[in-house]
Amino acid sequence: MAVDFAQAVADNQSLVFSFALRFLRNREGAEELAQDVFLQLFKNLRQIETPAHATWWLRRAICHRCIDESRKRKLRPEVHLDAVPEPSTGASESDPFLNERLRALIGDLPENARTVVILRYQEDLDPTEISKLLDMPISTVKSHLHRSLTTLRSRLQKQEICR
Amino acid sequence: MNLEDDLRAALRREPAPPDFTAKVMRRTRVVSIWHRPVTLAIAAAIAAVAILPPAYEYRQHQRALEAKDQLIAALSITQTQLQHTKQKLLQNTRHRQ
Repeated sequence: MAVDFAQAVADNQSLVFSFALRFLRNREGAEELAQDVFLQLFKNLRQIETPAHATWWLRRAICHRCIDESRKRKLRPEVHLDAVPEPSTGASESDPFLNERLRALIGDLPENARTVVILRYQEDLDPTEISKLLDMPISTVKSHLHRSLTTLRSRLQKQEICR
Repeated sequence: MNLEDDLRAALRREPAPPDFTAKVMRRTRVVSIWHRPVTLAIAAAIAAVAILPPAYEYRQHQRALEAKDQLIAALSITQTQLQHTKQKLLQNTRHRQ
């Protein structure tokens, strides 16, 4: 066996859990889905050749599972109190309230666009990598990114005006 | 900051819950047990023990029902024949008188 399962869980749990959390906006649902994906990896461990392959496999699996789950349950984004991070105490310069608003707006994007945005800005993948991971034409990936940024920008501006 | 930087900050990875690894490993142990050949053999044996006797009993019950139907049919034919013979005997008796 080329990949140690426990090590794969340790290395990738933050990736898988965060993706599901940002996608579903539900901490319990995200944890359950992330566990399911690791279990799926465990059952397919013989096919996994390297730790990098495991990461790629997990990214792909969590994307598809989140899209399926969202469509199946018609899960509307829920903001649980524990999904909102504690405001940081100066360690980071980012605004926690802006972060939360952005996460809520991302949660309102259509499934495919949401997947592309999370892969781009959480996982820091470029459009070519996203295209390969999702079996999606690169033009579609770029289009999702462009339209999502436009939508997010305009919704943020609207919220600013309303405040 | 521009929007892309804000998105990176908002979507920064978050650590999984502290007991996440333990929960996953616990669930893999259950999967492992069900994938062992010995477990599968035991499960198959239990299934056979649970399924075969009721199936045998059902077959016996079906046979008994078939036999009962055949007996009723035979008795019905015999009754018809006896009535027919009785009518003939009565007719013969009347002719002689």
